[in-house]
Amino acid sequence: MNSFLVKRLGQTILSVWGVITVVFIILQMSGDPTLLMVPEGATQADIDSLRLQLGFDRPMIVQYGDYLWRLARLDMGVSLVQNIPVVDILAPRIFYTLYLASAALLVAFGIGLPVGIYIGIFRNNPLSRALMAVVLIGQSMPTFWSGILLIMLFAVNWAILPSSGAEGATSIILPAITLGALSMATVARITRTSIIEELGKEYIRAAKARGLSFAAVIGRHVMRNASIPLITIAALELSNLLAGAVIVETVFAWPGLGLLAVQSIEARDFPVVQVLVLLGSVVYIGLNLIADILYSVVDPRIKLDGQQG
Amino acid sequence: MLKKLLLTIYALVLALAGLGADSAMAAPDKLVVDLVNEPSTLDPHRQWNPDSYYVYRNIYDNLVTRDTAGKIVPQIATSWKLLDDTTVEFKIRTDVKFQDGSPLTAQDVVFSIKRITNPEFKSPQLGQFNSITDATATAPDTVVVKTGKPYPPLLAQLVKLSIVSKAYTEKVGDEKLNLEPMGSGPYKFVSWQKGVKVELAANENYWRGTPPFAAAEFRAVKDAATRIADLRTGKADLIVSLNSDNAAELKSASNLAVLSAPTERVAYLMMNTEYGPLTDVKVRRAVAYALDRKLIIDALLGGYSRITDELLTPAHFGYVEGVKAYPHDPVKAKALLAEAGYADGVTVELVTAPVFDQRIVQAIQQQLSKVGITVKISMGDMSTFLKRRRADPEGFGDMVFGRWSCACQDADGVLYAMFHSDSVWSKYANPELDKHLEAARSAMDPEVRLKHYRLANDIIADQVPSIPLYQAAAIYGAKKNLQWTPTANESLFLMDMSWK
Amino acid sequence: MSPTDIPDQTQPVLRRLTRAAELRRMWPLYLIFTTFALAALLAPLAAPFDPMEQDLFARLKPPGTTLGGYIYWLGTDELGRDLLSRIIYGARVSMMVALLSVTVSMITGTAIGLAAGYFRGWVEVILMRLVDIILSIPAILLAIIAVAVLGPGLQNLVIVLGFTRWPRYARVAYGQTLGVANMPFVAASRFIGLASWRILVRHILPNIVAPLIVVATLEFGLMIIWEAGLSFLGLGVQPPTPSWGSILSTGRNYVASAWWISTLTGACLFLLVLSVNMIGDFLRDRFDPHSIKR
Repeated sequence: MNSFLVKRLGQTILSVWGVITVVFIILQMSGDPTLLMVPEGATQADIDSLRLQLGFDRPMIVQYGDYLWRLARLDMGVSLVQNIPVVDILAPRIFYTLYLASAALLVAFGIGLPVGIYIGIFRNNPLSRALMAVVLIGQSMPTFWSGILLIMLFAVNWAILPSSGAEGATSIILPAITLGALSMATVARITRTSIIEELGKEYIRAAKARGLSFAAVIGRHVMRNASIPLITIAALELSNLLAGAVIVETVFAWPGLGLLAVQSIEARDFPVVQVLVLLGSVVYIGLNLIADILYSVVDPRIKLDGQQG
Repeated sequence: MLKKLLLTIYALVLALAGLGADSAMAAPDKLVVDLVNEPSTLDPHRQWNPDSYYVYRNIYDNLVTRDTAGKIVPQIATSWKLLDDTTVEFKIRTDVKFQDGSPLTAQDVVFSIKRITNPEFKSPQLGQFNSITDATATAPDTVVVKTGKPYPPLLAQLVKLSIVSKAYTEKVGDEKLNLEPMGSGPYKFVSWQKGVKVELAANENYWRGTPPFAAAEFRAVKDAATRIADLRTGKADLIVSLNSDNAAELKSASNLAVLSAPTERVAYLMMNTEYGPLTDVKVRRAVAYALDRKLIIDALLGGYSRITDELLTPAHFGYVEGVKAYPHDPVKAKALLAEAGYADGVTVELVTAPVFDQRIVQAIQQQLSKVGITVKISMGDMSTFLKRRRADPEGFGDMVFGRWSCACQDADGVLYAMFHSDSVWSKYANPELDKHLEAARSAMDPEVRLKHYRLANDIIADQVPSIPLYQAAAIYGAKKNLQWTPTANESLFLMDMSWK
Repeated sequence: MSPTDIPDQTQPVLRRLTRAAELRRMWPLYLIFTTFALAALLAPLAAPFDPMEQDLFARLKPPGTTLGGYIYWLGTDELGRDLLSRIIYGARVSMMVALLSVTVSMITGTAIGLAAGYFRGWVEVILMRLVDIILSIPAILLAIIAVAVLGPGLQNLVIVLGFTRWPRYARVAYGQTLGVANMPFVAASRFIGLASWRILVRHILPNIVAPLIVVATLEFGLMIIWEAGLSFLGLGVQPPTPSWGSILSTGRNYVASAWWISTLTGACLFLLVLSVNMIGDFLRDRFDPHSIKR
């Protein structure tokens, strides 16, 4: 277990360094924010002087070294555009993105799980196929379109939910449904697969032979074992949902990290973009790690030997 | 196991939902404005972009300002006079108090000027103020501003100078001033919830009178469709950045109104006269004849924008009547192209960005294709656009569609930057034009300046380094009972608004 | 990382796809897909108008409008262009972006996964670490940044999507190769002195292609959605080229005043992606029942 963790940690640091480098190179190629900051008509001298002040005149390798050194000291830097520490910009937004992602996960599981159970038990009946098609709908619509449709319906026409923002208890509902719909199908499918697999096993027949009701078999035995892959999927989907939040947050003016990412890429606010990407990849790596550990906790037969990538 | 997990998530969500519940309903005397982005800064000496100054200009007063007609009028300054060509003396008010109760003095004005012109401060606005070499308080109500050489647009630039408190800024530091601004304006800063909104409250002791709303809230809503939904559902009272089609849609709602004003932004089609096919003036004129600007404005811009024959608008100093215009004449355009050796057509690259009206770009493309000019559109994001906009002739592309605003309403900020051979934004060199632009930049006599701008405008119209298309309009959506007349300088002064 | 990628059934994919009984059951999906594919292929014949031709006097006309002797079956868009023609040409552009980017990422990913799984050692370490790095960067952010660097446009879109999505195929190809490479017939081939590339192409590739096609099918639908998403963020194909994403993202500004633009385009996109996803779902059941990932 310990050697596994050490190895994983080493791999993680290597990955993070790779991410930092890839992102640094791409951002360097995308220009710098100076032109976006100066007023229209600024002279070359004005532009050069601001660029000098912001440190973009230095050779790339020096900027790279400077950046790595700052990160090594856990200094996230200062936003070039807003001129305040990146941490202060990010911190309040992390809450909103986590809130949205967990609510979306709830939607995905709330609908995907029962559908998955049903279609796992009753395979190949027409209702099963129809239900699967229904959960697939979420995956088949671009969120920027389904989002505005929901706004038009629930906020403008029926006036029962707020159209945007993050004020009040009800404002989470539409963004969560829009985002959660993306993962419904995945949850339903995994549930179905595990249920089918469990139902085929020996102990089910034994339990049935003992006279347990079908519902009890499903509830007590099948779901327990089927929950293993579901935990993994929850962790993985969470990182998918964090990425999906980019567009959903833009549509609903939800003040999370996704919206910030779009804005800071547009503004070429490098320190913010770099930290955001870094955060995204650390979360991804972390969630994978957690999924692996949870997996072994739920099912002690699975050993953490670090051979999986 | 799974049930527990789900229950935990459910409980968590409920708890989180409860957190936001208390701030759900807006107070009736609060004005809610949907902007596009949140302010980049609330420090008025940093960035000058609409989403920022819409907010901070309500917190601060400026040395001078513009009235609704666009004339430069006193605000903190009561009067000013030229001592010589490079020295202006301002008399300032002595009855103004900052929101913390301390008086606004000549020292604060001097401090503000020195702060924004200090290169160490790294203000992106530096280029607009660095003609100022010195500022001194010669009496408690007198400030003398010196420029290195005669600089006629000085007053127009000072419209953008907000006065910060010297004592407060020195006490809290630059970073805190950005996060918790404090000025002498009609609204006090209350909170800035990052990414969500900025909240302001009325400054009851404001020297120009009681502000119209007890509170104001500026929200960041990037998506235009969502801003419209916010207005329709009553979540917002005023929304910015609409196009004419959005406006037409809002007009059908009985409780909503469309407000608009022609701005000082001119939409232009700029041509690369130093590289590629458009180096030939005949081809440039052919482009001008091929465009049907009236059709574009009538059909696409719904009458909100106005045709203009020069790069300036009536809102600018330097605007002159009767500049030569090119009527829509495809036959002549084809003839000119043939004369230039492009009887079989020519292909050009048009550089633009998504923030500009894509309907117009495509309409231009179609109109030019009718005379044999094939237009390839290159649309990058704003950063890419600006990089190409000021690239050298080889990297510029053949044409650029954009909208120019100097935020100073003076021809110097438009014509000099766009057409002087020294400017990185120019792809045109004409010693004759340079001469007029330089003369107009250094003469303090408005009559002399106008004379030079007249000649400059005529050269530009004749040589077509750029085709002016229309004076763009700013279109806002508002509740019908909001009383407000938008102005050319695209400001959202809460002091000028009220409920009917 | 997860119990994916277990080589399961290695039957040639086409034979299973065309098995009569299953084909019969799935015919509506194939029909939808074929209709759109034909429309895309035959766009110049199928479209009644030039999709770029504007008529500023015929803007935002509802479906069925007759003007100057022409019938606009699905109405017109914000520049007076025929919506039906734009949707047909849009099918062509959207499907082309999806198809090309899937091809690019599948070829790249498969080659890398094969190499890592077959050669092992430091090749494996370097390649699979690279896969991890790219996978861990939020894909949509990577795509947005990359488009900002390269500039939008059909060609760059394909490059960006291909570059962002290949690790998914690399993972699957790697896992499958690991399984197949240990089989006796591979060792035998190696023993009789066959060149590595020959073993890879002739013996391993055919045995791992089925799960890769499953991934590609699902990715095809996803790429159509992504193209639309990037259009919404202003990073799609260049105007006036119609793609479903660009029509939909402009049209959503007219949901209240000209519903037909976004609704009809969205419906087409939805039907195509849904049918592709259902076909993919079906294929996955057949080839890869253990897969837990999208």
